[in-house]
Amino acid sequence: MTLTATRPAAAGTRQAARPRRHGRRWPLYALLAVMSLLTLGPFIAMLIVALSPRGEPTVPAQWPDSFTFDNLAQVLEASGFTEWTFNSLVYSGVSVVVILLTASMAGYAFAKKRFPGRDTILWTFLATMMVPFQATLIPLYVLVSDLGGADTFWGLIVPTLANSQAVFLMRQFILGLPDELFDAAKVDGASELRVYWTIVVPLTKPILATLGVFVFLWHWNDFLWPLVISQSDSTRTLTVGLTVLKTEELQWSLMMSSAAISAVPCLLVFFLLQRYLVNSIAMTGLK
Amino acid sequence: MRHRLRDPVTGLLFVLPMLVLFLIFKIFPTLGAAGMSLTNWNIGGEWSFIGADNYTRLVNDPNFWSSLRATLVYTVIYVPLVMAVSLGTAVLLNSIVFLRGLFRGMLFLPYVTSFVFAGIIWRWIFEFDGLINGLLAKMELGPVGFMERAELVLPALAVVSCWKGFGYSMLILLAGLKAIPGSYLEAAKVDGAGPWQRFRGITLPLLKPALFFVLVIETIASFQVFDTIYVMTGGGPAKASYTLIYGIFERGFRFWEFGYAATWGMVLFAIVLVVSLIQRRFVGKENT
Repeated sequence: MTLTATRPAAAGTRQAARPRRHGRRWPLYALLAVMSLLTLGPFIAMLIVALSPRGEPTVPAQWPDSFTFDNLAQVLEASGFTEWTFNSLVYSGVSVVVILLTASMAGYAFAKKRFPGRDTILWTFLATMMVPFQATLIPLYVLVSDLGGADTFWGLIVPTLANSQAVFLMRQFILGLPDELFDAAKVDGASELRVYWTIVVPLTKPILATLGVFVFLWHWNDFLWPLVISQSDSTRTLTVGLTVLKTEELQWSLMMSSAAISAVPCLLVFFLLQRYLVNSIAMTGLK
Repeated sequence: MRHRLRDPVTGLLFVLPMLVLFLIFKIFPTLGAAGMSLTNWNIGGEWSFIGADNYTRLVNDPNFWSSLRATLVYTVIYVPLVMAVSLGTAVLLNSIVFLRGLFRGMLFLPYVTSFVFAGIIWRWIFEFDGLINGLLAKMELGPVGFMERAELVLPALAVVSCWKGFGYSMLILLAGLKAIPGSYLEAAKVDGAGPWQRFRGITLPLLKPALFFVLVIETIASFQVFDTIYVMTGGGPAKASYTLIYGIFERGFRFWEFGYAATWGMVLFAIVLVVSLIQRRFVGKENT
């Protein structure tokens, strides 16, 4: 009796409570809308200026009379821009491939192999995370230019491949894979390289994809190292190129157009892989 | 048996490519930085050992002290700002369900762009003929020279870094908030605790590890600010935004005094090391 009496009552209060709770949430949504507008505002303003006819008044003074793609076209035709884009693609693309390979190989060995000095090497890798890149910038630059790497692709790319975050992430992930898998493959007579290629790589695909996205963004957005090591358009990346444009070209409609184009790959990554990025930051703390 | 015997070699072989990269491009330059700071290395590659002369020069260099001051002032502005914005947005996102993914995406968007990109856009926003001054002019106010006034340039740069970077800390804190069991908050609610009391008494203490992690990460990031300064101010006006990294860059690549620039780098190294060690000490106590 008591059960039947209380149940509808409880359901009733729950139903009554719901709309009230929703009603109370509107200030939260209002605040979030304001924050989102402040976050997206600079992107929107950038697009409006980029699409405004050159030399004509635009936001904030006045809404432009018409929109045009002339600025974007001129930037794409400007000398250097395609070259910088190509260089950025090489810098990011090669780094992604090599870091994924070397870091997953090292991660596999650190997680599943015994060899002399393993823990010392791993701890040394980890300790280098505490050394800020900028503190080693000068000796690294001197070293690479003495080896003849200034203004070359290898000089730009190779020093950035030593990445302890990537190794550590791979090691943590592979540590969680069951040992039996590797033992079974070995019993079947598979070579070490075969175990790596047919077991480690396929099983680590999700973390490899995540890492790949991050390595791509780190390199595409990187600035200080390309700034000092690239000295001409032949190896200059897009981020460095933008600052060269800045000193030559003070027309904001052109600056905004080039900035917008430079961010296209990042925005593509964002729209295609946002859920991936968001989850992996929450789970691994990758930055 | 055969495999077990081969293991030590294969293990090392798998680590070898990364190990070689590390030895040449991380460990050697790290040791090299310390060594170089004791020399007068210059652009010609000639050098001689000069002992602690660079360090004596450093402590007598007014540029160094003003750059240290600029870096610390920037940190004191940036870290609380980014902590407040990321905690605020994380709490807001955690208290809604409908459209949460959309808002989270919009707030996270700037994180995927570069600091150079952010610097270019925000330079226009802060310009005399830019967005903010244009809006101020409509209200017949201003103009304000954000990049021209020494007291405004560091706060302005902090806003740019915050805009670009808070999405990361927001996601870390959001994950921390999601890990707090709802039953704790329900129980407190039943006991009559208001929203603020629940936040102070339950949410904040349980969020402490995540908050501490974000605090350390953002503090270290604040010492390393460079790209936006290069794009927006060039260290000015009157060296008001001339930070430690900017000093390393200018000493090294404008004056080509590699030995002395490496000495500036050692100071950055020491600061980041201290912050990292404090983090390890605290995290070690609380989590493991």
